[in-house]
Amino acid sequence: MSEVRLSNLSKAFGETIAVDDVTMTIPNGALVTLLGPTGAGKTTILRLISGLEQPEGGDVSIGGRSVVDDTPAQRNVAMVFQQYSLYPHMSVQDNLAFPLRSPLLKTPAEEIERKVSEIAEVLRISHKMNNKATELSGGEMQRVSIGRALVREPTIFLMDEPLSSLDAKLRSDLRIELKRIQENLGATLLYVTHDQIEAMTMSTHVGVLDHGRLVQFGTPREIYENPVNLYVAGRLGQPRINVLPADMFAGAPAGADKMGLRPEHIQQGEGKGSMVKRIEHLGDQIRLHLTLDGHDVVTLSEPHSDLEPGDTVAIQPRNPLFFDASGVRIT
Amino acid sequence: MSDTPIDRVAKATPPSVASKIRGLSDRAIAWLFVLPTIFLLLAVNIFPLIWTINLSFTNFRANRPNREVDYIGLRNYERILTDEDIWLTMQATAHFLFWTIFFQVLIGFTLAWLINRKFKGNDLWTTLIVLPMMLSPAVVGNFWTFLYQPQIGLFNYGISFLTGIDPSSFQMIGDVTLAPWSIVIVDTWMWTPFVMLICLAGLRSIPDYIYEAAEIDRASQWRQFWTITIPMVLPFLMLAVLFRGIENFKMFDLVVQLTGGGPGSITELTSINLKREAFEKWRTGYASAYAIILFVTVFGLASIYVKALNKVKER
Ligand SMILES: Nc1ncnc2c1ncn2[C@@H]1O[C@H](COP(=O)(O)OP(=O)(O)OP(=O)(O)O)[C@@H](O)[C@H]1O
Ligand SMILES: [Mg+2]
Repeated sequence: MSEVRLSNLSKAFGETIAVDDVTMTIPNGALVTLLGPTGAGKTTILRLISGLEQPEGGDVSIGGRSVVDDTPAQRNVAMVFQQYSLYPHMSVQDNLAFPLRSPLLKTPAEEIERKVSEIAEVLRISHKMNNKATELSGGEMQRVSIGRALVREPTIFLMDEPLSSLDAKLRSDLRIELKRIQENLGATLLYVTHDQIEAMTMSTHVGVLDHGRLVQFGTPREIYENPVNLYVAGRLGQPRINVLPADMFAGAPAGADKMGLRPEHIQQGEGKGSMVKRIEHLGDQIRLHLTLDGHDVVTLSEPHSDLEPGDTVAIQPRNPLFFDASGVRIT
Repeated sequence: MSDTPIDRVAKATPPSVASKIRGLSDRAIAWLFVLPTIFLLLAVNIFPLIWTINLSFTNFRANRPNREVDYIGLRNYERILTDEDIWLTMQATAHFLFWTIFFQVLIGFTLAWLINRKFKGNDLWTTLIVLPMMLSPAVVGNFWTFLYQPQIGLFNYGISFLTGIDPSSFQMIGDVTLAPWSIVIVDTWMWTPFVMLICLAGLRSIPDYIYEAAEIDRASQWRQFWTITIPMVLPFLMLAVLFRGIENFKMFDLVVQLTGGGPGSITELTSINLKREAFEKWRTGYASAYAIILFVTVFGLASIYVKALNKVKER
């Protein structure tokens, strides 16, 4: 396992700039999550690290050594592809064993057998070992794809939305398993996800991408509590952060143009009156859709509140985030 | 209650349709539609087959239709299976089949593999390589006899250029040991492009991402070739072999043009041999038995092969 460092990394496909001057260090043993909307360049960064794509500029180093001239095999990275990329003509067993059966490794057959069945157990695909890779459900293919990476001992694991096709229960189980495995191995892992919970609970660091640029890099709490701009603030948080004019309430600092309110920044019971438009019951919580002077505000309420559409709720901000006219964070 | 397809069609037809065409029941109408096809099938396929089987037990000669025909039991079969010459013909056919398929698969796959590496102008190369296939076998046979000419033939000249052997010292068509190879060479020249095209289709059907995954899994080029390329192209390759096998088993025109079965009967393949028996010697009963034996052989081999093909495709 090694530290992976990207310096001023850039990649364009024709007119599209997929990765734009990204500098980032993935510390040894860290689990770094990449966040960003579709097309932000997450997959491209993984492919640049793995060597499947050559950068136009900048450098990738693994364990302190530049690897831009190395082949993927020399870089010794393991990757879970977004579209699974299983070997369609092989069984699940053979797919999982494929990386271990390299003639160079000379891994004994029983060792391969043991490792493969162990990983299959963790990923709950033991009962499908003899299926062909094409005879699996999407979620099963995805788990085989994860397994094919986990049987190895690479310099870094690259995982491109590895849990995206799984049902909620399996996803939360495997999230915990993956984190456990990563910690046990002391593995370095770069992880792409759109899932808020995965990003917040698994990662040691989060990198937020916008059109190929790395906008902010920090611990999940930093990203959540101290976003550098409105864009980053909007990437984490469910329901999404509410953006209101800064002067709606008193106390805005000089130069502030917008005010960002997460549910925990909204105190109910005092302040300006707002009308309840809609109520969503999510089971463990209730989502309130409010209108405040013509602006929509979404916040949370206790599960047992007896509010109804048409009621009025008084709200006021508590330590909100302020942004200037260009969206940059002020306080 | 029977449940033939016709019954099912009749049941599925709404009563209103049937009642419009009065005087005929639904079943009768259904039969009316199917009968012409059945009749055609019987006339051109089934009847000749049964008639051939029947003739194969007789000493009938088509050039003497008025002579009395005797049923001679299995005599024809006995004579064919114990005939040395027929076994030689079979051997010549097997030799021809094996080596043409061997070379065509080997060269065809290699060419396809080379063309599939994305280089500039590979479309032009594909077109050029495919050209021989588009010619008529009769034409090909004819101009290869010129190429094989010991004195003026380009083939002999080329060989002599490469090896230094005197071009007029050997005759591809006239020589007993070389003649079988002369037809193998021409058939390979003509039909390798066909095998190449099928292999190319197979290679193009392998998505890039599989190679990317293998690259990440640290498989060498060699290992990728044997564990990914070959298994995934294999069903296509086997299909090409089946096509070529069937085609070459009934090979006739090319060889007749080139060697005419000679020298002696060295290149007399079964199809040529059969034609001689049936339409030169007019031993119709004997030839019928011969045809039946060939039919059973090909049918047996083909069904074994298709089973294997299906097994490979399932994998
Ligand atoms: N091979 C390619 N050729 C041309 N353009 C490409 C190629 N690969 C990626 N791109 C472009 O680069 C940009 C970044 O793509 P990338 O796949 O990295 O996005 P992503 O962040 O992984 O998105 P998603 O969340 O949808 O997977 C996109 O605009 C995409 O269209
Ligand atoms: Mg992607």
